[in-house]
Amino acid sequence: MNAARAPLRGSSCSSNTSGARSSRSGWLRGSHSKGSSPASSPTTRSASLCSCRRWRQIVLCQNNICNQAHMNRVVTHELVHAFDHCRAHVDWFTNVRHLACSEVRAANLSGDCSLLNEIFRLHFGLKRHHQTCVRDRAIRSILAVRNISKEVAQKAVDEVFESCFNDHEPFGRIPHNKTYARYAHRDFQNRDRYYSNI
Amino acid sequence: MAEGGGWQPPRPCEAYRAEWELCSSAGHFLRHYYVHGERPACEQWRRDLDSCREWEERRSAEAQQSLRESEQARVRAARKHGLVWAPRQSPPADWHLPLPQDNDR
Repeated sequence: MNAARAPLRGSSCSSNTSGARSSRSGWLRGSHSKGSSPASSPTTRSASLCSCRRWRQIVLCQNNICNQAHMNRVVTHELVHAFDHCRAHVDWFTNVRHLACSEVRAANLSGDCSLLNEIFRLHFGLKRHHQTCVRDRAIRSILAVRNISKEVAQKAVDEVFESCFNDHEPFGRIPHNKTYARYAHRDFQNRDRYYSNI
Repeated sequence: MAEGGGWQPPRPCEAYRAEWELCSSAGHFLRHYYVHGERPACEQWRRDLDSCREWEERRSAEAQQSLRESEQARVRAARKHGLVWAPRQSPPADWHLPLPQDNDR
């Protein structure tokens, strides 16, 4: 989890976080938060071992995030977990299926498994490769925070995958880029008209 | 006779056009194949666009019914998978409160 990357300077890290909040997914997530209670912005910390969601905060690694695009993906990933915590009774600590579901969703919706990112990791595949990536990254994320075997983590991901991979809330679709995110936000703004006329 | 009472298509016709164009694009084909391993099905967006325009022009009952059925099918498809967890009625009461000061490490 410790990455040998050049550290971000403090001012750059703050501006990158601001950029992430205004990114394609950041403002949509903020809109959904405001619908239920006042939104709180993520807290940026430095020199942490990993990016994770702790109780009521998102911790970002200043020494592990090297550009704006990476920052956007990490913030989106952690905000998916925060969203799940707010919308459902998620048992993060004793139910590995719940954890697996949120990790599947976070890997699926954050852009972690985009074709380009996988190519950069030298993982080559096209047909349905996105799902392979989501499974693998979900298992890795579970193993990073739970002292369980890979087989147990894999079994949990397999059990929840079909349901959680197809759960695209709050976007309604996988936000591959700004266009998809813009359309998702448009659907969100149109939701009252939509549900009152179907 | 089409239903009155201020009914309108669930989405503006422009939205159906934009969705159909996005679905039909080469970029979306590639992304859909990468995610699902098959080509995307875009014909329904085109039918919905035609129905929307027909409603706007002639207030056709068939167009209204077609749009409602199409969107109801989309909602059913999105909800067909059971949830892993129990949904909340509201977020945790303390989710927006200030953090304790001893969390800095």
